[in-house]
Amino acid sequence: MQHKQSRKTIVITLSIVIFFFLAWELGVFLTGTPVYLLPAPSRVIQTLLSHPDTFAQATFLTLGEALTGLMIGVLAGILLASVLTLLPGIEDGVMTLAILIKSTPMVAIAPLLTLWLGFGILPKIIITALMSFFPVLINVLSGMQRVDPALYDLFKSWNASRWEIFRFLRAPSAIPYLFTALKITGPLSLIGAVVAEWTGASGGLGRTMWLAYTNLNLPFLFAAIFILAAAGMIIYRIITWSEAKAVFWQPAQTNS
Amino acid sequence: MLKRSSSLLIILIFIFLAGCTPIKLAANPTSTPTIDNMTFMAGYKPQANLPFVGVYVAQEKGFFAARNLNVSIEHSPGSGQHLQLVAQGKVQVTTQDAAVLLKRRSDPGLPLVSIGLIGQSGQQAFAALKSSGFTSPMDWENHIVGFKGTPPPDLFALIKAAGADINKIELVNVGFDPRILTEGNVDVYPVFKSNEPYMMQQWGYEIDLWDAADYGIPSIGLTYVTSEETLASQSDILSRFLAASIEGILYAEKNPDEAVDIVLKYAGPETERDHMRFMLDSELKDLRSPITDENEIGWHDLQQWQALVDLLVEYETMQPIDVSKAFTNDLLMNK
Repeated sequence: MQHKQSRKTIVITLSIVIFFFLAWELGVFLTGTPVYLLPAPSRVIQTLLSHPDTFAQATFLTLGEALTGLMIGVLAGILLASVLTLLPGIEDGVMTLAILIKSTPMVAIAPLLTLWLGFGILPKIIITALMSFFPVLINVLSGMQRVDPALYDLFKSWNASRWEIFRFLRAPSAIPYLFTALKITGPLSLIGAVVAEWTGASGGLGRTMWLAYTNLNLPFLFAAIFILAAAGMIIYRIITWSEAKAVFWQPAQTNS
Repeated sequence: MLKRSSSLLIILIFIFLAGCTPIKLAANPTSTPTIDNMTFMAGYKPQANLPFVGVYVAQEKGFFAARNLNVSIEHSPGSGQHLQLVAQGKVQVTTQDAAVLLKRRSDPGLPLVSIGLIGQSGQQAFAALKSSGFTSPMDWENHIVGFKGTPPPDLFALIKAAGADINKIELVNVGFDPRILTEGNVDVYPVFKSNEPYMMQQWGYEIDLWDAADYGIPSIGLTYVTSEETLASQSDILSRFLAASIEGILYAEKNPDEAVDIVLKYAGPETERDHMRFMLDSELKDLRSPITDENEIGWHDLQQWQALVDLLVEYETMQPIDVSKAFTNDLLMNK
């Protein structure tokens, strides 16, 4: 029954996507929109297929930067949330700094990082890590602070230490929150890498997009957007799949 | 016994060292010459701007290697980072058009120096669709004229020279996107003669161009730029770089098809070959002038630069600067 349901969901999803691209293709054809204003999806796919090496190299580089930055941002967010849970006295001060980082527009910071650190992958990883860090910090901190009061009282009645409460109660209760954060930061990490590459890089999808945009080569630009969208979707699916495996005690999400 | 062994050991060490020394000395005369490393950062994306082409060709044809230079080539996104990096000394040479170089020397006082003027005439012009029926800047009155970032001084000078009233022209900031002109959002659009006109022609639009130089307005183009400190401390490296790059430019002039192939190695498949050929051909037209005919390719003329400073002071309220410090012909003479 469940298998039949998931097949139905896949069919509906595919139908919606196919309808969207057909409408786009038809719209471009019927209105005679020139390629420098909006390319038809078929033209974009054609561009993708005619330069597989270029796009593959750019994609691997951007994915590498994005996933490394994501990993660093997630680890930093978890670490800081843990420290703030164990040492609540420093929360206000640290959160002020974290909000300051979050409020700083990355498009302004990215060129400066390039100036300071050069055109290698380091500035891209830092930008991605900075973008990934804050949602993880906020979500994991909330998860660690919002434990079940009944369980907390139970731990207290057992004279559990602060560390034991953290390890056996707060940390597990933060896992679902961590996955919520990952669902935001996963696709966001790609945007971080692309923004950083746009401001100066020798490779990657961001550079490809920048070159395509400045040459008004829209099929190339959209081809890179298609890859980014697909990569973002795959990352999101991997995270939701991992969530279902890791947070097995929570009921699966349903729309019914 | 121990004493004798120590003496023997010392003698052996001496023999070993004595044996080694002649080998080391003999190796010196045949050692390879020192290779100097440097970084060139093109002022924008990889494309067929003539100073970029000179460097690409010099790299690929071995003109740098022949002068014992190992040049790392980078590209700026075009937001000014290249000038900051040159001022910091992290990049030895970049490219910039003369007007911006002068403005950045004046404010915020970046110690930039042109070491070779490759565009003896500026590349900026103003385009209108032929269908607009404009025949002179007088016709721009009661229409919209676009500009990129800040209105360039040659726009004001051009309007004044043509006798049009600036107060009757609406100026709007449009950024880089020639589609704004073809879609009718503006009536006049600033272009680089070697770039956007090609695109618009490819899209099927006929355009008219107004070049400030045609109205006697001083206009000079792209230069190779370094910093005062790099110039003082690494003039030999810069001199070799400049000689190799100019050799690259002259090679490109004789072999434009091959030069475009080389450009495409850097510009990638996002870039159209014919567009690059158009750009190269356009910019080669401004490589030479009576000044370069009398002197060298890349030569700077004080009067030419002073005229541009005067224009910038008049129309951009730029603080006057000592223009003689903004360029040098010394490296061209040494190359």
